[in-house]
Amino acid sequence: MRIATANETYLADEALIRTRTQWAWTAVLAAGLAAAPFALNNYWLYLACLVAINVASATGLNILTGYTGLVSLGQGAFMAVGAYTVAWLDRNVGAPFLVNLFAGGLMAAAVGILVGLPSLRVKGLYLAIATIGASIILQFVFLNWTSVTGGSRGMNVAPASLFGTPLTTYFQLYFVLVPIAALMVLGAANLFRTRIGRAFIAIRDRDISAEVLGIPLLRYKLLSFAVSSFYAGVAGGMWAYFFRAVGPESFTIVESIFYLAAVIVGGMGSILGGIIGATFMTLVPEVLRFGVEAISPYVDNAGTLLSPVRTVVFGALIILFLVFEPQGLAEIVQRVRRFFHLWPFRK
Amino acid sequence: MLGMTKRTFLALAASSALVAAAPAFAQDDGEIVMGGSLPLTGVFGFAGVAIEAGIQDYLKILNEDGGIAGRKVRLAYEDTGYQVDQSVAVFNKLTSQNRNIHLYYGDSTAFSRTINPELQRRGDILMAGASFATEINDPQNFASQFIAGPDYTEMFSILLEYIAREKPGAKLVFVNSDTEFGRDPIESSTARAKELGLEVVEQIITPPGAVDVSTEVLKLRRARPDYAIFHGYILAPLPEFMTQAKQLGLETKFMGTFWSMDSSIWDSVGEVADGFMGVMPYRYYYDEEEAPMLKRIREMRPTYQTTGYMQGFLTAMLMGEAARRTLDAGKELTSQNMKAALNSIEDFDTGGIVGVPISIPGNTVPVGRIYQYDAAAKQMKPVSDWISLKE
Repeated sequence: MRIATANETYLADEALIRTRTQWAWTAVLAAGLAAAPFALNNYWLYLACLVAINVASATGLNILTGYTGLVSLGQGAFMAVGAYTVAWLDRNVGAPFLVNLFAGGLMAAAVGILVGLPSLRVKGLYLAIATIGASIILQFVFLNWTSVTGGSRGMNVAPASLFGTPLTTYFQLYFVLVPIAALMVLGAANLFRTRIGRAFIAIRDRDISAEVLGIPLLRYKLLSFAVSSFYAGVAGGMWAYFFRAVGPESFTIVESIFYLAAVIVGGMGSILGGIIGATFMTLVPEVLRFGVEAISPYVDNAGTLLSPVRTVVFGALIILFLVFEPQGLAEIVQRVRRFFHLWPFRK
Repeated sequence: MLGMTKRTFLALAASSALVAAAPAFAQDDGEIVMGGSLPLTGVFGFAGVAIEAGIQDYLKILNEDGGIAGRKVRLAYEDTGYQVDQSVAVFNKLTSQNRNIHLYYGDSTAFSRTINPELQRRGDILMAGASFATEINDPQNFASQFIAGPDYTEMFSILLEYIAREKPGAKLVFVNSDTEFGRDPIESSTARAKELGLEVVEQIITPPGAVDVSTEVLKLRRARPDYAIFHGYILAPLPEFMTQAKQLGLETKFMGTFWSMDSSIWDSVGEVADGFMGVMPYRYYYDEEEAPMLKRIREMRPTYQTTGYMQGFLTAMLMGEAARRTLDAGKELTSQNMKAALNSIEDFDTGGIVGVPISIPGNTVPVGRIYQYDAAAKQMKPVSDWISLKE
């Protein structure tokens, strides 16, 4: 329990950042993010951009699964809708890339609403299967609507361009992708300070009670699908500008499982959870590479022998975290924060 | 704090930073690095491990013979799990860690396509890889890449030329998996078959990972083709097709492309596999024809090495040759110079890895030979001469 944090208005009580310490740390984080590209090499910049894209998408899924309680395995397919929309608009309309990204998000949101329709009747695993069904249909469309999607070969995407400068290096892309992802995370955090966000949580906790309380389930469940898919669509659009090629094999069911795993590992129903989960799932396999590298002088042909071990260790780490921290990695952060609230007076 | 002074702490921090950075300092400026995004795990893991062995063995031979213009060549590689984002991560990691990367081995068509703009931007890397996609055989758009063999359309062309010679006017069925890999050569090859006077009577597309193929076999039965050419698979569902076709008394001959052609994958299939044919751009480990390089490989590795090994070996050889010709001409190791050097390769002796002298006029080596599986010997036996598509 924190002391000396009495608020005089509801607005202050709901604020995302409440104390000076929090402001200070937020400033440090922002400065760190702004300065990072100048210190990181191309490899880490690539990973930072990838983390940004994955955080955006995982946050979207967290809104749907973590906050509204609707399990979805369609996040990859929604990203694909965004990515294809961006690729198509870029090629055929040539609108500025921010407009394309927004359009990608809107298109994914529209598809998301359609896919969300079964959520009115089915929940839990049944809904997850329904979203897999939708992914398969979308996959079929991507593969066979050749005139729009490029069929099995997919589409190439020209680099995004800002003020006439094509964004081709990871250094340049970082300054676009990270702020967009940050804005999206901020948007999600703010969403849960509003009536809409609270309605989502009410539906998650007990949908019948929510309806009794005056929350129209149809509207809010579909709204949750729309917001979540919008996030996926924008993330997919960023993915398209990042990898510059989109194909039917770019977003498979494995991607959807990846994001669901990220949300669960990070912590469902927690904005921080989505961020930490996506970062963990993206970076741990890469960090484990350095483990292989460190051992390689001592083991003959280490790269070949230890690569399967890396995959196993990654899987084992996920299981361990789920067993020992079922609330997700975000809970560890919260525990550390609580410890420092009273530090050094109580250990 | 454990009796540690600020100075000791700083010294410790600095020394550990140095240790961490040691690999960067340890780099030899003279060496040439070949990078590799290799699929050592995942669905394509079996090939990645073999490819790595093939590349390493060729580089060992190359370095023992003095390297390229006195410069040693080293392979720096990491596992990608056959996933594009990881392949790109490995590319960025290796290019950040190694200053002298001028050659690169990529693991998939998707990676070749994704990394292409970056290769063009950098302009200092020549890349080849595990993909034989027709799309890459485009010297203009894929100027920094090549394929160490024929592309999939050319593989089909080699098969079709063989069929046209063996049985003019033959009836064909194409069976392809519903993937980018599978669909790659369908259109172009249907046209080529027509040119050669062959009739494609049916095209069957199977869903990825399909196990039950009875409906497709019925289509095959209705079409009664002389040859069924499979593409987009490694092994499954070929044995199932062949078993059911045999049960139905079909006389159809079954054919495949490079990634289905390793004899070790057919060993476990047994008698049904007998007679399976396909196109192979390289010799097999056990081929008895005169081949000094194969002899050397057999000395280095006494047990059977797969087709992936041969692919990695030849890719490294061609990359090495391109780099050698560039340096010998006193030029810098840029993509453009290395590609021009690669294209200057004409009637090149691969030491028997390919049975005829090869040339690389564009982005591919358009040569191959038809082999047939002999279940009793558990080996692929040649049934044709080397077929070159060079006009």
